[in-house]
Amino acid sequence: MNGAPLTRGAIGVAGFLVIGELVVRLWVSRAFDFPAPSVILYEAALLPLDPEFLQGMLVTVGNWGLGLLIAIGVAVPLGVLLGALPPVEQAVRPLVEFLRPIPSVAIIPLAILLIPNNSLMKVSVIVYASLWPILINTLYGMHDVDPLAKESMRTFGFGPLAVLTRVSLPSAAPFVATGVRIAAGIALVLAVSAELVAGGVNGLGVFAVAAGAGNRMDLIMAAALWAGIFGVLANVVLQLAERRLFRWHWLRTGGART
Amino acid sequence: MTRIPRCRALILGVAVALSLTACGGGGESADSTANTGGLEKTTIKVGALPIPDSVSLYIANAKGFFKEEGLTVEPVIITGGAVAVPMIESGELDISMTNYVSTFAAVSKGKKIKLVADMYQAAENNFNIMVPKDSPIKTVADLKGKTILVNNLNNIATLAVTTQLKVAGLTAEDVKFAEKPFPEMGNAIAGGQADAGWITEPFITATQSKLGFRKLADTMTGETENLPIAGWMATEEWTQKHPKTLAAYQRAIAKAQELAASDRKEIEARLPDYTKIDAQTASVITLGTYPSELNADRLQKVADLMLEYKYLDKPIDVKSIIVAPPSAG
Repeated sequence: MNGAPLTRGAIGVAGFLVIGELVVRLWVSRAFDFPAPSVILYEAALLPLDPEFLQGMLVTVGNWGLGLLIAIGVAVPLGVLLGALPPVEQAVRPLVEFLRPIPSVAIIPLAILLIPNNSLMKVSVIVYASLWPILINTLYGMHDVDPLAKESMRTFGFGPLAVLTRVSLPSAAPFVATGVRIAAGIALVLAVSAELVAGGVNGLGVFAVAAGAGNRMDLIMAAALWAGIFGVLANVVLQLAERRLFRWHWLRTGGART
Repeated sequence: MTRIPRCRALILGVAVALSLTACGGGGESADSTANTGGLEKTTIKVGALPIPDSVSLYIANAKGFFKEEGLTVEPVIITGGAVAVPMIESGELDISMTNYVSTFAAVSKGKKIKLVADMYQAAENNFNIMVPKDSPIKTVADLKGKTILVNNLNNIATLAVTTQLKVAGLTAEDVKFAEKPFPEMGNAIAGGQADAGWITEPFITATQSKLGFRKLADTMTGETENLPIAGWMATEEWTQKHPKTLAAYQRAIAKAQELAASDRKEIEARLPDYTKIDAQTASVITLGTYPSELNADRLQKVADLMLEYKYLDKPIDVKSIIVAPPSAG
């Protein structure tokens, strides 16, 4: 990676902030009560010094990580299984297609009713929402396996299990990784949303609820900024891991262009 | 692939889904805590909104009133009564803050909820109808045909505003109520989405100082003077299973309520801990009162108002849903 795109990116962000500052200070603040970007940035810079906020961030990130891990643990084996057994996939497909498009945030009230433990409820909705992208991507990955490679293995006398572990799984892995990366973003949305709806002892969303009740829009926006920063970091880390693990796939699909 | 196996596969899938949903439902978490001083449960979770009303919970914690009773109380921030009721029913919370209008409405729908302690009572200029500085609305009668923002429809807000409309010769049908959370009301009205808002603190002070709003009417006058607003609730089952824990909680909360009622400084000292209201704002906002005794006659007024304005179909005898402390002291 060279410096030029980074510099341009930084200029873009700075320009956006300056314009935002001017718009809020000269126009929005005449009629509305809304914090300027500089105020939000200042509060955001102070938040890491607030133990309550830090604890909240830890809880939210902890739920996020746990939910995502469980989702991977469930969705990947399930996707591989379904991908390897087409009749089962056909049986389950209608159910998946029915459940998948339901906005996960809409199931939070139901989860509150059904799950009498606040943390478990939050992790559950994260798992639920993260399942779909991982499952669907794993399925695609399994479908995308080069049939010639599988046939060759079989011709050489390898059993179905060997075909699965030596051809299908490695071939599907990059798809799984993409699914996990998409799920990571969705999991963060759910981790915060569940707290905004259900409250709790600690968390980014809980912090935002308290900030709202205290009329501190600047703190709400500052907390949202930290959620965004975490989301970007998680995405970058996962993307780097993908490139390192699946360099061959990345090169093959033309990722080297960017 | 033939047609029949596909069909069978589909049926199988649906059947699996149904059997999966059937085996939901969790077991009650056992609270086998060793009893200290005869308490059925020594650690309880209590839900509260992060607003000045619930200050006694935090005073009692800070002053060690719960500890004196052998109780460990973990405050949980809730987002409103609509979420709190399922949370006490599921056992996620032992006790929760509630507003009385919500409670009586829930009770009339068959919810087995008991009120266990009083919390907050309206005072002057605590819940006002606010309008922009240059609004043509000068009196409550001018609200005819206008849109009024409330935090919840069919709750204290609409009830309180309706009592004021009645005095001005209007009914709830003469205005339009729209729902909006308190933090967004000021900007929504300033932006022309609505004409007025039913606003409480710290938003009364904020809309006055930052947006230049003015007070149109105090909604806690006349029929609603000193209206009880919020209290602590638990499920009937919980109160029956934990009478000693409840009594301990009631004693500690009553003590904290007395302190809050007698010294505003105690409230101001706690607000920055659990709300995002800073010390400076805490010193200027208008606060309600903090009754230390759960009084059925006083609360009956809320139920009667609800009946009068058709928020309830049939009368509620508040005495029947109160679990008062065994004996004072």
